[in-house]
Amino acid sequence: MAAVAAWLPFARAAAIGWVPVAQQPMPPPPVNREHNRTDDLMKINVSGRRFETWRNTLEKYPDTLLGSNEKEFFYDEDAKEYFFDRDPDIFRNVLNYYRTGKLHYPKHECITAYDEELAFFGIMPDIIGDCCYEDYRDRKRENNERLLDDKDSEDGDNVPLASMREKLWRAFENPQTGTAALVFYYVTGFFIAVSVMGNVVETVPCGIVPGTFDNPSCGDRYEKVFFVVDTACVMIFSVEYLLRLYAAPDRCKYMRSIMSVIDVVAILPYYIGLFLTEENDDVSGAFVTLRVFRVFRIFKFSRHSQGLRILGYTLKSCASELGFLVFSLAMAIIIFATIMFYAEKNVENTKFTSIPAAFWYTIVTMTTLGYGDIVPNTITGKCVGGICSLSGVLVIALPVPVIVSNFSRIYHQNQRADKRKSQKKARLARIRMAKNASGAAFVARKKKEEERIRLQELGQEPEDKDDADVFELQHHHLLSCLEKTTDREFTDMDVNYNGQPTKLLGTPPLTPTMSVRSRDNKNRTTGCCARKSSRKPLKNSSDAEELNDISIRIPSSNRNSRSSLNAMSYPTSSNSRPNNIQTTAVVSMPNTSPGNMGNSQDSLHTPSTASTVSPAGGVVRISTL
Amino acid sequence: MQVVRYKPEGLDALCRNTKFSRKELQIMYRGFKQECPTGIVNEETFKEIYAQFFPQGESSQYAHYVFSTFDRDNNGSISFEEFVVGLSVLSRGSLQEKLQWAFSLYDINNDGVISKDEMTSIITAIYDLMGRCSEPFVDENTIRDHVDRVFQKMDLNKDGFISMDEFMEACRGDASISKSLGVFDTVL
Repeated sequence: MAAVAAWLPFARAAAIGWVPVAQQPMPPPPVNREHNRTDDLMKINVSGRRFETWRNTLEKYPDTLLGSNEKEFFYDEDAKEYFFDRDPDIFRNVLNYYRTGKLHYPKHECITAYDEELAFFGIMPDIIGDCCYEDYRDRKRENNERLLDDKDSEDGDNVPLASMREKLWRAFENPQTGTAALVFYYVTGFFIAVSVMGNVVETVPCGIVPGTFDNPSCGDRYEKVFFVVDTACVMIFSVEYLLRLYAAPDRCKYMRSIMSVIDVVAILPYYIGLFLTEENDDVSGAFVTLRVFRVFRIFKFSRHSQGLRILGYTLKSCASELGFLVFSLAMAIIIFATIMFYAEKNVENTKFTSIPAAFWYTIVTMTTLGYGDIVPNTITGKCVGGICSLSGVLVIALPVPVIVSNFSRIYHQNQRADKRKSQKKARLARIRMAKNASGAAFVARKKKEEERIRLQELGQEPEDKDDADVFELQHHHLLSCLEKTTDREFTDMDVNYNGQPTKLLGTPPLTPTMSVRSRDNKNRTTGCCARKSSRKPLKNSSDAEELNDISIRIPSSNRNSRSSLNAMSYPTSSNSRPNNIQTTAVVSMPNTSPGNMGNSQDSLHTPSTASTVSPAGGVVRISTL
Repeated sequence: MQVVRYKPEGLDALCRNTKFSRKELQIMYRGFKQECPTGIVNEETFKEIYAQFFPQGESSQYAHYVFSTFDRDNNGSISFEEFVVGLSVLSRGSLQEKLQWAFSLYDINNDGVISKDEMTSIITAIYDLMGRCSEPFVDENTIRDHVDRVFQKMDLNKDGFISMDEFMEACRGDASISKSLGVFDTVL
């Protein structure tokens, strides 16, 4: 609060503008008991390096170590200074936070060391200024990932397993866990290789069958052998799939995952083939097509190879870039093919029979393959062909490295943007909460005053723990003057709806830490003339209406009586007996009189407190009358 | 956008021209310079600062009126001198000076009289300071009634305008207003 404390006199003076139009007279100003707490220098010794600052600077943030009385624990009586056995370099940033309201993160510092210092001094890392925040988050994320990786690799051996199922699942996911898992891993790998090799070899021509001129493929010749091998592989794969399905913690999710789909696609052709061999030849054509899918078995290797997985992930995440590349290529192909077609249309026996036929030429030329199976004959055709191949070099060769670098940049950027968006929401929420808190602090204070009054009326001694500082008192006085001007009262935030708001008498006053947070926030948003326009006026939500069965304050109807203005006598005049003639004068205003009475009592007994009481509902007060 | 650096007059001169002590001026200037290192405060910043005192309400309108009243030379910014001189009048000036300041606040277009519209604007701005979380609820009639009441009290010749003399007379005659004006001195 001290940061804007210099402006408080201004705000209060400007409140003079309210006075001529005020509906009620202003409450008297608070009398502060500790007169003029002078601003003094404080010496802080951090591991030998001395810092000095004003006391007010430190007290800007009362919920930190240096701003609260926690620092008294570190006070050195002999040297009359505060000694901290911490890193002086990082402390510099901490102290600057108090001075400027912005916390910076020095890039050369270790993130964990910095975090520790912040934790020691009671400062939330969330308030790091925007200039350094991204850096901080990045470093933090890297650090966390590293920690996580480390932990994962050692965790694998340490976690005790509950059931067979979990053991199985872990064996599948991480082959390093035991010999059985390793054996399984290698066996499946071997069979995948065998199966793929079998598919490949069975198409190779095996040599001339003696006695004929045929040169059949190996598959046809040694059909039984290949069938046996295939069966064995498929059995292994099926068993593996079923075992994985059983062990999976979330079966539905597992079934939808890409690896399981590949597994299924790899073994299905075989089973379909089993059922189809009895059918007629029409379907066998389809069966042959199905065999193509057997090549997907090679993708099962991705479980065995980290690199493959990363590549797959890369392509997936880079999909938009690749899509754009394909799109621009397609555009170029269509353009050139069209031109070539029309250029070569009239040539005899031309291969450019249609535009799609010219596509093939364009692709082959642009990728600089140049098979030569289709070439232009006309001069125009040759020119265009030349341009086509030159531009092909550009179109193909340029995007690829760009994609490669773009991929990593854009990928990280997207992550950051999403994170920033979610953080922004959280930040705004925090700001709003802090603003609520400052208003709530005022209301809480009023309630405290009322409590105190009530206790006094009941004859009990109020616990005098009023240690609010000068500025807080004056600020609250200012707010209560505003209430008097407009003849309205501040209430808690969450009671608003478009009807009559109800006053939360029953709820306990909010904790003081919330009010403290408001100061924190106030200083966060004041930059040095910065346009931090993150504050929005609190147009309160008309949604949450809290129904309380506590009395609704009904404004008294006779406020127009001008006599009321004059009838008010100020309680600062020495009234020894609060229950005196004042009461008759103010009977016309039943709602405000007890307040004044409360004021007078208050000011008599504890002159230090601010008479910022505005009366509660008539319930408590009437007894005093 | 050029960065303006403004240096106020010396401490002694300011001490003479205002009713503040050296110590108070020191504290005020430090806070001022902390908020605005360039030495002058423009309306944006002013509104932000004001908003911190009234977090629950919409303070920009009232802040605007106060700002224009303070900014005597109407150059869109307040220097420390203007600030301190104005403040000296407001918190430690005579009743006359304070009332004059209030009048100039209400007189938005500086034509020497307060019209009903001007009064309505000011009172709306004041009610805005309270914000939505006030009870009883504020609606248009409230403001209109309030304005009518004020005019009834102050507009003695019933011509729909409040002149400076009428204003002074009405306020001086009202004891509570005179007392209330003394409430706002701030201890630094």
